[in-house]
Amino acid sequence: MKSFVPVWLAIALALLSAAALKAQEDMRTVPNDAFVSPQRPPSVFVHDAHNEAAGIDECNQCHHVYRDGELVADESSEDQRCSDCHAEEAAGDGPPALMDAFHGNCKQCHLENGKGPVMCGECHQRQ
Amino acid sequence: MHTIYEWVAGPLTWIAFLIFFGGLLYRLVRLVTLVRRKEPFIFTYMSLKYGLRSILHWSLPFGTVNWRLHPVLTIVTFAFHICLLAAPIFLMAHAILFKEAWGVGWPSLPDAVADGMTVVVIAGAIFFLVRRIVRPEVRFVTSASDYVLLAIVAAPFVTGFIAYHQFFAYRWMLVAHMVSGQIMLVAIPFTRLAHMLFAPLTRAYMGSEFGGVRRAIDW
Ligand code: HEC
Ligand code: HEC
Ligand code: HEC
Ligand code: HEC
Ligand code: HEM
Repeated sequence: MKSFVPVWLAIALALLSAAALKAQEDMRTVPNDAFVSPQRPPSVFVHDAHNEAAGIDECNQCHHVYRDGELVADESSEDQRCSDCHAEEAAGDGPPALMDAFHGNCKQCHLENGKGPVMCGECHQRQ
Repeated sequence: MHTIYEWVAGPLTWIAFLIFFGGLLYRLVRLVTLVRRKEPFIFTYMSLKYGLRSILHWSLPFGTVNWRLHPVLTIVTFAFHICLLAAPIFLMAHAILFKEAWGVGWPSLPDAVADGMTVVVIAGAIFFLVRRIVRPEVRFVTSASDYVLLAIVAAPFVTGFIAYHQFFAYRWMLVAHMVSGQIMLVAIPFTRLAHMLFAPLTRAYMGSEFGGVRRAIDW
């Protein structure tokens, strides 16, 4: 029996790392781990289903790239976290703070389209 | 739902705030012109020093004889009023919405703290309600309008609490919350809730008369 332990351990490790590597297809909420002490449940966001239902074709509608303050039309940044460029506390006239970036991206588009959640608890759902 | 939300969180809120500030300004201007016409001599002894001194004493828990005589009522009154003012002003959700609309924000309390203060306000409202019902000397001076005012004040806190915890009917609860908040704002200048403005003014007047004219203290 003892010799099985390493095997189980290996399987458990493989499962764990697969979970850690889970791609945007499996994303069901926007991770809030970039906030020092998150106050709300993470926002609902089924990445691929959302973008399909909303009819968003361009990845850089959200994963954008700016150069010299200009939005670059044909580049995207899905290999980066929003928090790589948006700090929790905004500095001067740099990019908006992280929370403002999320609310500005998500809620703003929902308001402009008249579709999608706009109330705090519609996104930050408590289960 | 989108249309309702955008209306209630947008124009209706700005109308409510306009009436709130405009109404308070109107009440203030009317008070000053009335005093000027009827009892202008009051202005001759209004004193910043004695006025502030009296306000300070009455603003301290147990800072006056009257506060010390009623310790329980004093503690509840202070906790109720502090939380009543601080919770909504420093609520993160309110600050976020304000910043989205006007581009300026201010520091806010952690949600858990504001939530606790909300419970204090609701508990305080229940205390005042029970007191009005069970204490004969209070019941004697209570009219239906007192209960209505208490309900107007408690409603935004009860609905805000239920919405924040998403207990049930979240969307409708949030709309009910915003409408009840607007009703409270509009009611303040035109009901006894205007003591928010008049209480410090009355105190300043009493303080000035006691301090500057009678050479006595009023606490
Ligand atoms: C509506 C906005 C939006 C659109 C459009 C969008 N994404 Fe994302 N995506 C996000 C957000 C938000 C995250 C989480 C970012 C973070 O955690 O910092 C994310 C994360 C990712 C991740 C990282 C997944 C992980 O688990 O770490 C990948 C990869 C990704 N997106 C790829 C894409 C691709 C490819 C497209 C275009 C086909 C796309 N995204 C379109 C919003 C969007
Ligand atoms: C490579 C760096 C970078 C990444 C990654 C990034 N941003 Fe930005 N973002 C910027 C910069 C720089 C600005 C400021 C643009 C300006 O000067 O107006 C900005 C501005 C914004 C704005 C305000 C202007 C606008 O476009 O509406 C929002 C909202 C925003 N980002 C959301 C996001 C979200 C959400 C993500 C993740 C999905 C993200 N950003 C990822 C660099 C980045
Ligand atoms: C470019 C516009 C756009 C952006 C950006 C966007 N959304 Fe949406 N979203 C929509 C539209 C349109 C719908 C309605 C889709 C439908 O018709 O069901 C929607 C629906 C939703 C829904 C409800 C349907 C579902 O998929 O469960 C959620 C939750 C949601 N969005 C979250 C987000 C979050 C979180 C973000 C930011 C990371 C975001 N959205 C960014 C356009 C957008
Ligand atoms: C359209 C969806 C959406 C709406 C509506 C929305 N948020 Fe968010 N919010 C997000 C996303 C996405 C993030 C990024 C991290 C996450 O998933 O929680 C975020 C982050 C936050 C954060 C920082 C992280 C944390 O948990 O401390 C706070 C605080 C917050 N939101 C509060 C609010 C409040 C209050 C409201 C209502 C006034 C609101 N949000 C409305 C999508 C939304
Ligand atoms: C007039 C417009 C108003 C708007 C648009 C508004 C909006 C909101 C929103 C969006 C929330 C968060 C709900 C959630 O977390 O899901 C909230 C909570 C709250 N609001 Fe308001 N509000 C308004 C007026 C008021 C007023 C006048 C008061 C009190 C005087 C008030 C007291 C509260 C409290 C106490 C909570 C939080 C309850 C808790 O965390 O337990 N609001 N409000």
